[in-house]
Amino acid sequence: MGVATDIGATAPGLEAFQERVAALSVRQLMWLRYRRNRLAIIGGVFLLIMYLSALFAGFLAPYGVRTTHDKYPAASPNSIRFLDAEGKFHLRPFVYGLKAEIDPQTFLKTYTPITDEIYPVKFFAKGVPYKLLGLIDTDIHLFGVDEPGKLFLLGTDRNGRDLFSRILYGAQVSLSVGLVGVMLSLVVGSFVGVMSGFYGGVVDNVVQRVIEVLTSFPQIPLWLALASAVPANWSPIKVYLGISIVLSIVGWGGLARQVRGMVLSLRETDYVMAARYANCSDLRIIVRHLLPNTLSHVLVIATMAIPGMILGETALSFLGLGIRPPMTSWGVLLSEAQHVRVFLQQTWLLTPAIFVLAAIVSFNFVGDGARDAADPFAAE
Amino acid sequence: MASYIVRRVIGIIPTLLIIAVVGFVVMELPAGDYVTRYIAELEASGQTGVREQAATLRRRYNLDEPAYLRFVKWIGRFVQGDFGESFIYNKPVKDLIGKRLMMTLVLSLFAFILSWGIGIPLGIYSATHQYSRLDNLFTVIAFLGLGLPAFLIALFLLVLGWSVTGEALTSLFSSGFEMAPWSLAKVLDLLKHIWIPVLAVVFTGTAWVVRVMRGNLLDELRVNYVQAARAKGIPERVVIWKHAVRNALHPLVMALGGTLAWLMSGFPIVAQVLSLPTIGPLYIEATLQQDVFLGGTILILISILLVVGNLLADIALVWLDPRIRYE
Repeated sequence: MGVATDIGATAPGLEAFQERVAALSVRQLMWLRYRRNRLAIIGGVFLLIMYLSALFAGFLAPYGVRTTHDKYPAASPNSIRFLDAEGKFHLRPFVYGLKAEIDPQTFLKTYTPITDEIYPVKFFAKGVPYKLLGLIDTDIHLFGVDEPGKLFLLGTDRNGRDLFSRILYGAQVSLSVGLVGVMLSLVVGSFVGVMSGFYGGVVDNVVQRVIEVLTSFPQIPLWLALASAVPANWSPIKVYLGISIVLSIVGWGGLARQVRGMVLSLRETDYVMAARYANCSDLRIIVRHLLPNTLSHVLVIATMAIPGMILGETALSFLGLGIRPPMTSWGVLLSEAQHVRVFLQQTWLLTPAIFVLAAIVSFNFVGDGARDAADPFAAE
Repeated sequence: MASYIVRRVIGIIPTLLIIAVVGFVVMELPAGDYVTRYIAELEASGQTGVREQAATLRRRYNLDEPAYLRFVKWIGRFVQGDFGESFIYNKPVKDLIGKRLMMTLVLSLFAFILSWGIGIPLGIYSATHQYSRLDNLFTVIAFLGLGLPAFLIALFLLVLGWSVTGEALTSLFSSGFEMAPWSLAKVLDLLKHIWIPVLAVVFTGTAWVVRVMRGNLLDELRVNYVQAARAKGIPERVVIWKHAVRNALHPLVMALGGTLAWLMSGFPIVAQVLSLPTIGPLYIEATLQQDVFLGGTILILISILLVVGNLLADIALVWLDPRIRYE
């Protein structure tokens, strides 16, 4: 227990600390290791913020997901200011009114701020009605401006819909599709992997063949082909589930292979042998002994698969093969900027890409940290 | 060694057959067929009386035959090199692919050599100077490259290019130069366009190679033979390059298995976004319009390359790493 005490006095408190460490559960050890990784903590915080924002999208967004401002199609961001045109500082943030004019050279609608019209930003303002958390009817938003003032933090699209609000609502789909897809992969992959590893023989051979064929297909072309098989006339929810299934089809094979490998080695351990001799049923051995020992690794693999799923959904929706309108996701928002002329002139339409980047990078950091933490007994 | 290779080669034949079947099924999965879409398109553009032509069209494309019959006929000709005819273009699939194959391979090869050529040295530097300033910089850039999908990077680069030159730099040539004979101006025009897809793909590719190389080399440097070599007095440079790096390359050799397929599939979404004349947009178009022969052929060809590539990588790994026993 602890450092060699024959050399002399150990540092004060070190023995006490080592006693505490020896008494910590595996889970607590994992959390301590995870905490040391600063990037993983930052990533985790970012993800928490993003998921909470998605959950409370209705409250945080100044407008609804389908609210159109007919007079303001393709408006550039109308941002919050503190200093007005005369250089006077306002404690209360405000936005200017917008005047629409047709540019004589490009014949496009441009919007110039009218420095006389000042619309203060109101907090807990009344706005478009929505259901908070999908349950409570309310119309109070975190911030907003009175009509006819417009708060377009990130501009509008060609239909005059506020991009910032749509990004918040889109987060609900983009961030959840990855989780649903990974859970499907996890459930199917672990089940198949355990069966294959535990029983071996014919079952194992067949499963291995199937997985081999599945992984022989290139990922993106397979996604494209399968996604186009999701009928266009399904309801948005069914399309959402269909896309999750498509995304998970490519992933479960690799997970099953890993689980099978782990089960193959765990099968020969002493405690499994003892459980067999104690006449435990197969199911009990699997559920009580094998699965818990694979769980931490499986969760790490799953976490590291989520960025790929988010990327996949974004790419599919971008091409029009994924989430279909009227459901919004970041990929759908980006697909509206697909045409070269459009996004060259309305560059703000590309901002969902930054959120995609933030989500994926955060998940990568968290996944890295989880992978390092998952084996708390590994050497440094 | 030879018997291992022969065994593996024989082993993949059933896999290839199943791939052909699954590929065909996947392309047939969407409801309806090419004729349904074709007619819907015609009706959408205002033509009337087209629905009666459906039966004739189906007979012309042989779509009235049951699926398994069409598949068997197609496979029979497939192995002889006749990949069928595309519904969309009414040209042999072989010609359509062949025309774009050269451009696809050139671009992909160029991007691949750049990615790995830059990625491996950077990865080695990152591992040997862990946590140094440059390593942290490379790590941040690598996370950006891994986090942003390549097609989004391509979009950003298009915006960048537009703000600098005022032109939309899609495709490989500006509209005037495409049919023009080769000249210095055409080459310059090509260079002006080509840096966008190359940069987008190389950025993501290099990021991945750097991360993997760095991780592998760090793992290798922890193994005790490195410490033994240092203790023997071998110069650090030799320890790293002659011993550690050579062993750290093995997982990358495994990853090379997928490269053959990647060279042909040619980053489809980036190519679609930038309207490049490669196989990628051809495949996307075939998938969207359910051109079974065109899309199926491309999918199956790429899968075959994946299987063959993995086989070659496995053989290379067995040859490289004497610790691996032939199963």
